[in-house]
Amino acid sequence: MSTISIENLSKSYGQLAALSEFTVNIEKGSVFGLLGPNGAGKTTAFKCMLGLSRPDRGSVLFDGAPLAPGTFERIGYVPERSVLYDWMTITEHLDMQRHAFARYDEGRARELIALFSLDPRKRVRSLSKGMRTALAVIMAFAVDPDILILDEPTSGLDPVNQRAVLKLMIDASAQGKTIIFSSHQIGQVERAAETIAILQDGKLLLSGSVDDLKSGWKIVEGVFESDQFSIDGIQADPDVRRVERTGRILRVSVRSDSDGIARRMGELGARDVRTLDLNLEDIFLGAVEGRSKEQSLDVLR
Amino acid sequence: MASVFTVDPRSGVPIYLQLIEQVKRLVAVGALAPGEQLPTVKQLALDLTINPNTVARAYRELERDAVIETSPGRGSFIRADGALDVATKTRDDVAGDAFNEAVRQAKSFGLSRSTVDALFEQTLERWFPKEEAS
Repeated sequence: MSTISIENLSKSYGQLAALSEFTVNIEKGSVFGLLGPNGAGKTTAFKCMLGLSRPDRGSVLFDGAPLAPGTFERIGYVPERSVLYDWMTITEHLDMQRHAFARYDEGRARELIALFSLDPRKRVRSLSKGMRTALAVIMAFAVDPDILILDEPTSGLDPVNQRAVLKLMIDASAQGKTIIFSSHQIGQVERAAETIAILQDGKLLLSGSVDDLKSGWKIVEGVFESDQFSIDGIQADPDVRRVERTGRILRVSVRSDSDGIARRMGELGARDVRTLDLNLEDIFLGAVEGRSKEQSLDVLR
Repeated sequence: MASVFTVDPRSGVPIYLQLIEQVKRLVAVGALAPGEQLPTVKQLALDLTINPNTVARAYRELERDAVIETSPGRGSFIRADGALDVATKTRDDVAGDAFNEAVRQAKSFGLSRSTVDALFEQTLERWFPKEEAS
């Protein structure tokens, strides 16, 4: 059980700032989802957290203390690129875990192998990409970890096994384990995570609870009589994130005061004004595209 | 295991609100009876593949609204006393929202008040037919 505090974590590779001033807090027993386009800095963040990559600046604290050999014992890690050995069997990989982790649970490992229908005698060479991911997941969960750091733990898996991995995370969270994971599938993050952070170009675009983000943002859509309508006082509103004009339809992403924008649209002559909820994908795209338009973004709480 | 609950995680409505709404609706239509036990937080989280703290948040708010009661070690139950209030209130809310949405749409289509009024009478007649005069 752990609280993870990441503060100002920064890492450059030559000229490339892979991660800049990344700061988040992950509460004990929570599931934290890390989202971002390819190359956003998610894997760099994980590596810096684990000391596999040395950050230029910043700190990572587990229960207030920096990473120590004892901390490793309590962490289950699924790396993005598998660190499995082609010539070794599944059983041999699990033997490595048994030697490295005092809390390795033999029975648990057997259950997990059965869950993913793997043949423990098989060599990694003969495993599909999905099976390799499954093996990495088994290795992480079989060591009875308090903290799980999962870099794309469902990549290459079929939908049934993706669901199985999500359920393992949910089960672990219900037992008070702390989980941070990344995924390209926003739907998975929407299900499993209670808190998220969105990274782009190494920078934190926004973070917060999924529920609060969904409650905090709305889309106001207005239909006008003709396509020659004014949007006076809408674009300039500080709570407005994105303004899309398509023919006679105006769609505006807005924070908090959606009623004000809806009223303004009515004043501007919109006939039908509806307020719609944003899902995580809308929020994600709004954040990522909004930033590329050089708009300023607030971190939501 | 199948669950009586369903959520749509991709919706813009937070999952905990969907759960609260659903429990209240199920109480309103009598599908959840007073005294009936709800699944544990962990069980429901696994059944629906959603975050356990999200389920816990829904249960906490339902408890605060006096819809359910939780006794440590036994589980969460639909409250005997509160259930009737919730049922009445939920029915009023849901029906009120539906009316509001229908009238809003009619107005945005440019229908006049008298047209909406006539539609309303017509619909009312369909569902609550007056006794035929003998």
